[in-house]
Amino acid sequence: MSKEVQLQSEAADTIGDLLETSRLIVCVGPGGVGKTTTAAALGLRAAMAGRKTIVLTIDPAKRLANSLGLDTLTNQPQLINLSEMLGQPEPDLNGGELWAMMLDSKQTFDELVNRLAPDRGALEKARENNIYRLLSSALHGMQEYMALEKLHDLYTGGYFDLVVLDTPPTKNALEFLETPGRASQFFDERIIRWFLPSKGAGLFGRVFNAGSIVISLLGKILGEAFVTDLVEFFDTFQYLQEALKHRGDMIEFILRDPDTYFLVITSADPRRMKEAVFFHEKLAALDQKAEVFIVNRVIPSFSAEDIAHIDDTELDRLLATHGLDNAHDAATMRLRLETHYARLAMLAVRDHDAISKLGRLVGKEALRLVPLLGEDVHNLGHLLKLGSFLTPSRTAAPAAAGK
Amino acid sequence: MIKKLHENRLIFVTGKGGVGKSTVTAALGQALANQGRRTLILETDTYSAMEDLFNFRSSGLKPVKLGPNLWASNLLAEDCFIATLRRFVPSERVARAIINNRVARVFFKAAPSVNEVTILDQVRVFFEETEGGRPRFDHVIVDLPASGHAVTFLNVPATMSGMMRGLGPIAKMAMQVSDIIKDERTTAVVAVCLPEEMPVNETIELSENLRTIIGRPLTLAMVNMVHRPPLDASQRQVFERLRHELSPSDEREANTLFDGSSTHANPIVRLIEGNAMALGWHDRDQKYLRILHERMREPVVEIPVFFEANGTEIVDHIASFLIHGDNDAEQNLAS
Repeated sequence: MSKEVQLQSEAADTIGDLLETSRLIVCVGPGGVGKTTTAAALGLRAAMAGRKTIVLTIDPAKRLANSLGLDTLTNQPQLINLSEMLGQPEPDLNGGELWAMMLDSKQTFDELVNRLAPDRGALEKARENNIYRLLSSALHGMQEYMALEKLHDLYTGGYFDLVVLDTPPTKNALEFLETPGRASQFFDERIIRWFLPSKGAGLFGRVFNAGSIVISLLGKILGEAFVTDLVEFFDTFQYLQEALKHRGDMIEFILRDPDTYFLVITSADPRRMKEAVFFHEKLAALDQKAEVFIVNRVIPSFSAEDIAHIDDTELDRLLATHGLDNAHDAATMRLRLETHYARLAMLAVRDHDAISKLGRLVGKEALRLVPLLGEDVHNLGHLLKLGSFLTPSRTAAPAAAGK
Repeated sequence: MIKKLHENRLIFVTGKGGVGKSTVTAALGQALANQGRRTLILETDTYSAMEDLFNFRSSGLKPVKLGPNLWASNLLAEDCFIATLRRFVPSERVARAIINNRVARVFFKAAPSVNEVTILDQVRVFFEETEGGRPRFDHVIVDLPASGHAVTFLNVPATMSGMMRGLGPIAKMAMQVSDIIKDERTTAVVAVCLPEEMPVNETIELSENLRTIIGRPLTLAMVNMVHRPPLDASQRQVFERLRHELSPSDEREANTLFDGSSTHANPIVRLIEGNAMALGWHDRDQKYLRILHERMREPVVEIPVFFEANGTEIVDHIASFLIHGDNDAEQNLAS
């Protein structure tokens, strides 16, 4: 029968190395595979390796906050208390700390405007603009811009050694990687200039200019009021445009830094695996590469061969001693157990094949398998256990980790 | 089981990535088509799951026929944008001028929500399309994007219209789309989830947010991949006693039971441990199903897990389940 050890290379502890040296780890992957929880477990391991680490999540389960010992995650970094888990009142992790925060895109945008507005008047004007009011809270895509904004702050703030960035599933995560370009495109000065009234001439002073033809066409389609609001929006937000454009470029720079690493997190389910491959290809198209593929929830190697080796008489006898003395009932139950086991075996083979296939594509040494854990992650202990599968060569007891 | 959806000509299916939303969408379309209803499945500019599940290649906005009564199309934002523009700009020449204008293109590509609104407008076009005096499709099913929140997506037309103060043709179109979405008699919003903590909580939240933000109820929650109980209650008692006797007490030994290095040659122990895991899954599913039933008043459909490896087979099984119920019950297999 197949062994897990054949699926991944045991020698490398790439994740452990990354957690000690990188400045930014971006976790991408399909939904429903435990990505956010894995990001938290990575953060915990990094903190235990002595690094000031922050996990920035976008859409966490309440359980994640709870597992970190918090009621809720907020838009402000919160320091996670590791003392209880480590069994020390004031754990010494060589300066290592674990922080966590959840993105609130509206609040982030408001903060950004507050910080960058040249004066109170500009701030008031911004707040009254129809587009601003709706843009900051309701619109699609804003979350991605703002996640990058937060990332920028955390990364350049100087306090944290490592940012672990959790991303939304599939399509969004790709937008996430593409957003820097997109944001600076939106705020590209050359584009903006088309919409802005030229000095002195006013909006309609440029009737015969190519830009205003565009405006008038847009006015026909979108409504004059909207275009007027839009022009005002661009006008009011010129300062923001510059800042955001600058940030977009900065973030592009950060994402392409050699100390930035991408991890793909997936499960062994073939459909999720397919999405993982999609990420692999998408990253390549963006001139990036995933360092490690973390495969969560790998089910044990149940084997259909086991059923052939089961001694039916022995199993029936065992069932009888535990209360099923009727031969027919015992046989019925045996069949049920075997039917279910055969299904699990089918799943195990399917997962195994999917993992092998991924291994052939990206290299076995890039795979890190995490077995299906019996329970949901509810506390730091569970996170620690998950972490020990991620960085197998650094599985020292928590207390020793701070030496 | 899906009779209640026969009234709904427009069906939005939502769910987070990883819950099998596209598989359930495909199965729902297949089930309606099997019942003789002309059904169109729409994807929204995504890595198409339908192409794999039904083995076809989509071609622009034109629906591809997949079988009797069943069509599909993947609405690419770019195509929808051009189609919307053509509907709103009187002259073909002007439309082309805008499409070819670099500034306008960049603006629309970068402006948030333009994609969503033009995609939803294309959905409306299919929804309103007639053929020989009656609707071309009895049902239009939209597989909403897995990312973000369905409420945000469905609220985009209302937001957009508000942003334009209801003025101009696009605002009017957006308002129309928004009205269709709000109409609970015509339009269904179906949430697909898994019997797990996050998906269940999100479904409960979705149900609340649909009411408060969009002003309409969730039509149906479909819980996918519910594990059937491996054993009945009395068998389970026997099982627990048996497991107590046979199972390795040492965690290290339990961990090696399946990694190929086990000295535990006894396949009965492996059989028992495997079933213990399956029972654990079932128990966990039931726990989250209880939460869903307690906290939501909308109807809940539980779709059993089908272990077949092939996505197309799973679609057929779920479609059949949606029409006939579970004919793969454990009893039939075991007896």
